[in-house]
Amino acid sequence: MSPDIKGGRQLLADVINRDLCSLCGACVGMCPYLTAYKGRVVALDDCNLDQGRCYAFCPRTTTDLDAASRAVFGAPYDAGPIGKARDVFMTRSAAGDVRSRGQYGGTVSALAAFALERGLIDSAVLTATGGGMLPEGTLVRAASEVIGCARSNYVAAPTLAAFNREARREDVAKVGVVATPCQALALAKMRASPLENRNNADKLGPVIGLFCTWALRYQEFARFLREKVALNEIKKFDIPPPPANVFQVFSDSTSLSIPLDDVRGFIRNTCNLCLDMTAELADVSVGAAEGVEGWNTLIVRSDRGAELVEAARAAGVLEVDALPDENLNHLKGASLGKRRRAFANIAAMTGSESDLLYLDISDELRRRLVEGE
Amino acid sequence: MANVATFEAGTAQLLMGNEGIARGALEAGIGFASAYPGNPSSEIIGTLADVAADAGIYVEWSINEKVALEAAAAAAFAGVRSICAMKHNGLNVVLDFLMGLNVTGTKAGLVLVTCDDPGALSSTEEEDSRPVAKWACVPLLEPATFQEEKDMTRWAFELSEQFKTMFLLRGVTRTSHARGDVRIGERLPPNREARFTVDVPLQYTAIPAPPKHMAAHQRQERIREVFEEAPFNWYQGPEKPELLIATCGSGWFYSIEAVRALKAEDRVGILKLGTTWPLPEKLVRRNLARAEKVLVVEEIDPFLENNLKELVGEDPAAVGPKKFYGKRSGHIPSAGEINPDIVTAALAKILDIEHAPVDPDYSQKALALTSFFVHPRMVGFCAGCPHRATFWSVKNALKLDGRDGFVTGDIGCYTMAVGPTGFWQLKTAQAMGSAAGMACGFGNLKGLGFKQPVIAACGDSTFFHATIPALISGIYNKADYILLVLDNSATAMTGFQPHPGTGRTATGGPAPAIDIADVCRALGVRTEVTDPFDLQGTTEKLLDLLEDDGKVRVLVSRRECQLVRARREKAPYVMRVDQEKCIGETCGCARLCTRVFQCPGLIWDAAKGAARIDEVICAGCGVCADICSAGAIIREAAQ
Repeated sequence: MSPDIKGGRQLLADVINRDLCSLCGACVGMCPYLTAYKGRVVALDDCNLDQGRCYAFCPRTTTDLDAASRAVFGAPYDAGPIGKARDVFMTRSAAGDVRSRGQYGGTVSALAAFALERGLIDSAVLTATGGGMLPEGTLVRAASEVIGCARSNYVAAPTLAAFNREARREDVAKVGVVATPCQALALAKMRASPLENRNNADKLGPVIGLFCTWALRYQEFARFLREKVALNEIKKFDIPPPPANVFQVFSDSTSLSIPLDDVRGFIRNTCNLCLDMTAELADVSVGAAEGVEGWNTLIVRSDRGAELVEAARAAGVLEVDALPDENLNHLKGASLGKRRRAFANIAAMTGSESDLLYLDISDELRRRLVEGE
Repeated sequence: MANVATFEAGTAQLLMGNEGIARGALEAGIGFASAYPGNPSSEIIGTLADVAADAGIYVEWSINEKVALEAAAAAAFAGVRSICAMKHNGLNVVLDFLMGLNVTGTKAGLVLVTCDDPGALSSTEEEDSRPVAKWACVPLLEPATFQEEKDMTRWAFELSEQFKTMFLLRGVTRTSHARGDVRIGERLPPNREARFTVDVPLQYTAIPAPPKHMAAHQRQERIREVFEEAPFNWYQGPEKPELLIATCGSGWFYSIEAVRALKAEDRVGILKLGTTWPLPEKLVRRNLARAEKVLVVEEIDPFLENNLKELVGEDPAAVGPKKFYGKRSGHIPSAGEINPDIVTAALAKILDIEHAPVDPDYSQKALALTSFFVHPRMVGFCAGCPHRATFWSVKNALKLDGRDGFVTGDIGCYTMAVGPTGFWQLKTAQAMGSAAGMACGFGNLKGLGFKQPVIAACGDSTFFHATIPALISGIYNKADYILLVLDNSATAMTGFQPHPGTGRTATGGPAPAIDIADVCRALGVRTEVTDPFDLQGTTEKLLDLLEDDGKVRVLVSRRECQLVRARREKAPYVMRVDQEKCIGETCGCARLCTRVFQCPGLIWDAAKGAARIDEVICAGCGVCADICSAGAIIREAAQ
């Protein structure tokens, strides 16, 4: 039993009360103590256990990146600029209506729907936006339900709570998850967890990772936005590539461009301490193809991810093209930039070069992560 | 309870102290009795309410103590002997009226009984009522025996009528609630025509103040003369004891016991005083002169002790030098209830007697002997109590709201929510109505940076008693708080007495039922009603009300007290735990039901590593089924 794994009280002390929570939802949905509510993880009562899954799965408790990587790829952490990458493509859904309802090229929706249709998975945990712009995880069983969860939220969502809560159902055997980088890390920690109760880790199917630079705090951002637009009418958020430096909000009746600097104040503190822009522990990762309207960037990482992409391409639901070198280089630069900023922010927070908060990594791995080797 | 109205004169009856007071009032021919319930005083008016029809008297539970005394005083002004009873907190509520009534005087006999609760066994604080007598210039009597409870009450009426002023009778928990033999006397019939007439201008006012104030002091001196001859004061012991114990009330029993325990009868004399204000000076000086050392034994404050010192100080030559022992010297504790052990220890210390107190292992041994019969259990809500469910939702709503909101507390069963049974939710607890009153302050600090939501919790009886003014003040001043009325349709903590919301009077007759939610709506505030057993619905309503801030809002959490319901009907559910499903101490539960929710109907079966229902205690309310995340607690409709 790992001495690094502690209980709920320590999760509060080490993560939640220090504002390190990313609201991934990994600690929620397994017990009556922790719940996610309007952008916060809340402890309703005092759990007195010395060790718990909440602490084991949290991406901001002590994290051995090599162990997490072994659980996903069977190999230590790949410190390349965008993590382990077998291939990088430019992709989009072959279906025009999916593309039009997706954030960029509909790749995530296409892959998730395809995996369900093919029976590669029987359920998928996605993120739906509920009333008042509040996002939450949901378990879908049919391909037709996938498109309802398309589009980027930009607001942190406790998606994994749905995985914890729903995947234990007896009629669920294989669950795919669409995950942000912190969620992908949490899922890797679930798979690596030495605890006897592995929750639903053995039912985890392919993880489709999302590129992410940061997520916003719900309540404060909603209060800010409510003065400008009716939250229930919002259709889409987007951040166009630099130098625009704006946050766009599209609703039924209006479209707004808010200076990005006005929005940055709502970024969750923990996002500044995150190394991972491209969900490096997912099976495949998807983001925008900057400057190429209607296309995604797709990173194929694991065998499982490669099989999914290849089958979707062969079935004609996914169009695959080469990613221009310029885009790839820019992606690597941005990814490394996020890592370097994170290390700097961690050092600023701990006041020490040796205390890396949640990262339990060797000096060598740290050096390679910074250099992208 | 005994039918104290129908006892035959001359018989001996086993009576609780409070029943003795009630019988004494009947023997004095009262026609009117009023009170607001409060332990340990409740059985006085409760006993009279039960026999009101037999006795041909009027008895009421008033909305609060001030109204109770005002009503009783009115009856006395109309020529009807009246008794009013309350606990020490009630006396505080009464003071504004009392400080005018004392100099106004009365026509018929008027006795106010105040019962103190040393050790605060059923109170939020302990308090000595007696200084009020001195401060307000009201004569004070302290019965020590069950016979005296009755006889002094009767005597108080006679003196009250003779001197045209109210009398104060002070009891404590032990004298009120213990039982003993009482020799019954004849009853005077309450055959008085009630009529209000003013014989002298301003007769029933406190005006003009200085002359009436002076008259009250002069009257007190005449009463002092009567007290000199009172049969309730006496000395027992050697002519010149080494030590004189001066005592009153329950201290008298303890003193006798202590003297006997130390076999010190030839060294110690006991001066027992029943009339403790104004003191019978001559009698006291005569007896103080017997000894140089004086130990004063009394409950709560050094009231008698200080008054004796005052007397000595006025004329030291009359009594000679004295060494006083008591609360000021530390021989008798200044807080908590006294008992024979305390008095014995004090006596042994002063007399330098080798005294083996209780075996140091006594409590362990007693526990070992009795634990088989009695389960260890904290002070808490009954199984099936709606308050536990309400506070569960309050706790969750405040946690989810996340703005560090808190609950101001009030007086009632739910005061126990200051502890684990209410999940430590109540953060203040002072007086009736204070929850809403304090919320008026907290709720108007926004301009000074205050951001926390405030919930003021009061009971249904408390709502009527003292919350309404604070509610209206909050509305008027735009205070930001939620008034949470825990409406269990009874004055539960004091014994389920009816109140204006219950549709019944003290004597069991029908009454208009005043609906709390309607009262609040009539005041123009958003008012919601919830069933506390609907945990999710109650939490959601609270969250919605918490967001709807900037003003007073009301949530009435309405469900009948479980103990009242259980008298009338069977439990709705039979509960069981599927011990196979129960995940107990493992990750995912950590014994939420038996460790956190802590209904006494749920117990931990250590052998099985699972929870189970204690079917003797379980009230079958079904709430715990909704807190079990494993679905192991099964709720089945009772047959």
